Amino acid sequence: MEVWNYLETLIPQLLLILFALLMPAYDYMFRNKKILSVLALVPLVALAGAYIAWLFLGWWTPPGSTIDLLSVDPFSGLFTLVFLSVGIVVVIGSPEFIKKDRNHGEYYALILLAITGMTVVAEASDLIALFVGLEIAGISSFALSGFRKSEKRSAEAATKYFIVGAFSSALTLFAISLLYGVTGTTSIAGIANALTSPTSPQWVLDSADPVILLAVVLLFAGFGFKIAIVPFHMWAPDVYEGAPTPISGMLAAASKKMGFAAVFKVFLIGLIVSKTEWQEAAAVLAILTMTVGNLIAVSQTNIKRMLAYSSIAQAGYILIVLPVGTQYAVAGGLFHIITHAFMKSGAFLVVAAMGAAAVGERLDDFKGLGRRAPWLAFAMTLFLLSLAGIPPLAGFASKFVLFSSAVYASVSPGPQWLIWLAIAGVLNSALSLYYYARVIKKMYMEQGPQERIIVQPMLKVAVAIAAVMVVLLGVYPDSVVSACRHAAGLLFPGLLPGD
Amino acid sequence: MFEGVPVISIVILLPLIGAIVTFLLGKRESYAKWVATGFSAAALVLSALIALAFVIDPAPATAPGYHAGNGFFDYQFYESHTWIESLHISYIVGLDGISLPLFFLTTLLSFLAIVFSWDTKLRPKEYFGLMQVLEVGVLGVFVAQDYFVFYVFWEVVLIPMYFMIGVWGGPNKEYAAIKFFIYTHIASLAILVSIMAMYFQAGADSFSMEDIAVAGSTQFTRTFQIAIFAAMFFGFGVKLPMVPFHTWLPDAHVEAPTAGSVLLAGLLLKMGGYGIIRVAITTLPTGAHELVYVMAVIAIVSILYGALLCLAQKDLKKMVAYSSISHMGFVLLGFAVGVETHSSLGIVAGVFQMFAHGLVTAVLFMMCGVVQHKAGTRMIPSLGGLSKKMPIAATMMTIGFLASLGLPGLVSFAAEFMVFASMFDAWSTWLFLPILSVAITAGYYLWALQRSMFGPLTEKIDTSHVHDVSWYEGAPVGTLIALIALFGVFPYLIFQFINPAVEIVTRILGGG
Repeated sequence: MEVWNYLETLIPQLLLILFALLMPAYDYMFRNKKILSVLALVPLVALAGAYIAWLFLGWWTPPGSTIDLLSVDPFSGLFTLVFLSVGIVVVIGSPEFIKKDRNHGEYYALILLAITGMTVVAEASDLIALFVGLEIAGISSFALSGFRKSEKRSAEAATKYFIVGAFSSALTLFAISLLYGVTGTTSIAGIANALTSPTSPQWVLDSADPVILLAVVLLFAGFGFKIAIVPFHMWAPDVYEGAPTPISGMLAAASKKMGFAAVFKVFLIGLIVSKTEWQEAAAVLAILTMTVGNLIAVSQTNIKRMLAYSSIAQAGYILIVLPVGTQYAVAGGLFHIITHAFMKSGAFLVVAAMGAAAVGERLDDFKGLGRRAPWLAFAMTLFLLSLAGIPPLAGFASKFVLFSSAVYASVSPGPQWLIWLAIAGVLNSALSLYYYARVIKKMYMEQGPQERIIVQPMLKVAVAIAAVMVVLLGVYPDSVVSACRHAAGLLFPGLLPGD
Repeated sequence: MFEGVPVISIVILLPLIGAIVTFLLGKRESYAKWVATGFSAAALVLSALIALAFVIDPAPATAPGYHAGNGFFDYQFYESHTWIESLHISYIVGLDGISLPLFFLTTLLSFLAIVFSWDTKLRPKEYFGLMQVLEVGVLGVFVAQDYFVFYVFWEVVLIPMYFMIGVWGGPNKEYAAIKFFIYTHIASLAILVSIMAMYFQAGADSFSMEDIAVAGSTQFTRTFQIAIFAAMFFGFGVKLPMVPFHTWLPDAHVEAPTAGSVLLAGLLLKMGGYGIIRVAITTLPTGAHELVYVMAVIAIVSILYGALLCLAQKDLKKMVAYSSISHMGFVLLGFAVGVETHSSLGIVAGVFQMFAHGLVTAVLFMMCGVVQHKAGTRMIPSLGGLSKKMPIAATMMTIGFLASLGLPGLVSFAAEFMVFASMFDAWSTWLFLPILSVAITAGYYLWALQRSMFGPLTEKIDTSHVHDVSWYEGAPVGTLIALIALFGVFPYLIFQFINPAVEIVTRILGGG
């Protein structure tokens, strides 16, 4: 049963695809569209439960991958769990938001397919699998952004996202082909081997070889578009603004993180030997990304655009993992990716809840929200304070690990300038507090309309899940942090521990 | 009495539970003040019992929950539990002679501020809930012995205060609230980076203050100590506040509601002073030695500049706010003298001044609140002769002002006198600079008193409805005045706690 051997590793993806394909059929069968969202939750919840049982409870361990292109390890497990959690929160939050639209079946099918693609990226140990995963997730996301195709903004977002996505895929593919040409393999570990193996020709071993450098630059640009780092970020605010709000949440909280999974693997495993070549560039990009993201966020008047720029800034924080490049830093990056998934999708869901109640997306529409929808405003306050890194919320704990990894790396193994990454991150956190606090101010300190906002129970549940996680991960981060450290240690044995 | 009972955690939990109950009251908003009063009173009683059970002399090994500090501070009522194992973070709390007076002050002022706010009509549920969250944060700062826990509590304080100013504040509240938040948050971040740097440099695999201090005494190089002390000093100094990082304070105070100002000046400023003595000076003694003149100069400038600014104020509350800058300068001066001479006198005086200023400034802000409440304005030129309409208030205000300007027999005198005495030891005749402030202070207080309370009754405002203090205003102020007199006559009651702990500071400084 050789085929079954292959399929065994793909069970999670197959389950997701199966339900995705069933969705349009269900759509045809049921008049009550809410059932669709429940059905979409089935594979997500089942898989998330299985992954939690594996990663945190230790009830079982998946067998090693039977496919050379994929590797199933705690690192991919954590990423997959993030994608599944975001999927759950988004699906719970969706029915109210899209109740007036058509094609519910396709909507949920595309969400499931996008998540399938992301899990493939998380598990990829080969550039080809990585690329296929990126494309599956990407194409589903393009379609989702344009879900309200009759709405101009949504159509524009989809077009823009598609063009940028196609462009970045081309860049990535070109980089992959260059690396293949140099090393003769597309396996990420194989590339690392070829770049150091004494049997390789001399010019391959030269980490400053122009072809390798070109590949590095193209990869920065290609992945840079995916994770929206400055200067490849221009598309993000427009797309987040135009896409249906729950989908914006998914793009910020999950799609972006998929890009990071790819970046960590390619740079910290495949191209680690040429670290000295890209370390400084990555540091500059990180600082640039967080600073530009925060500065522009300050002047936004649309909440979704503001959150988009804040996502860009958060990507800048996570990007410091590359120049620091220790296991501890990877663990910090992973942890921040997890916490960011909850706080950002939560914030977008609050916006979605307001949208479902026909309240706008401008900052001024938040005026007096503390009176109009106390629980919604309270949850939003938690998300924003967590994004700003105020203890004892999740965002603080993860930033703490992330920034302290830079501080420690500057002590050993150096270079010393790494501490500036921590200082830049800290200063940026202070800057970001200004625009986050401004939303809180609008909600609680300014007068708005008086009538209460009715929030649908499903959305309430989704927001509540995210809020509980934001508090829980802040107050008791231990098990997640140790899981992240374990995952980072296993996947990146070549890196220094860094603490 | 408290053997084996996690009594500190209970004191912290009481207002936290109170806050949660208050927030969950729903439509029964009128019960909020009762819940808040009940829980904060329980915390106050328990903290008083802790003070009684605290063993001063002799062998503290018999004290409840005693923990010997391995050269660092010795604690009582010590609790230690692993919190985040993978990051080497533990929940450690304990009290010593430096934190105990401030711990008691926190429960006292929180309780009195809640009583003082009895007639709050605007969103009482949120108001009293946030007051209790604030109490939790400040209490935590004074007892935390793990840097991570310390920082968490330190930051938790900001959020309720931001809302107190921003929601219940004066006309320019939003600006003041966000300025307060960002200013002090930036300062906190300097502390955060310093904590990380110390953790890694010490290499003790622990965020415990004691472990880092012990490991640091051999691991911290001179340059490292200077750099981190400077960052810490900035971080804590903004909170103190010291000139030139004081500008958030007048804005915050002018806009904050009275109870908010009481807690801000009475407790939040003390966090800055406490951090300097507990963390910066004792963990980085060499850094402190190198920068002692910076500390002294900033202290003296704060004392004089703050006092001079008071002379120019027309708003009664703004004057009191600036006087805080001047008086907290004495705290810093006391510490600087202690670092210079390795003698305990200056440091004891500095710690005592924090306690004294907490009591006195609470009275002053409460009286400003009374004047605002009854007369409708705090602008000194519009006031005058109010003693005819509100004799009790005028008496209380006079006592408060006299206490603040250092009248012998009241609590501030002991503190300021000791700061002056110790400074003469260290820098002899340079004493003339800070001592100038005594004259200025007497000047602005008496002048303000004369213009607002005495003389002919003002005609600029309608005084026909001005009444004397209400019970919920008079009772807290009366309590504070009684304590001001008690500790003014018997400062030893507090010194006995502070002295042994400060001995440890001087020992560290002497060895550094």
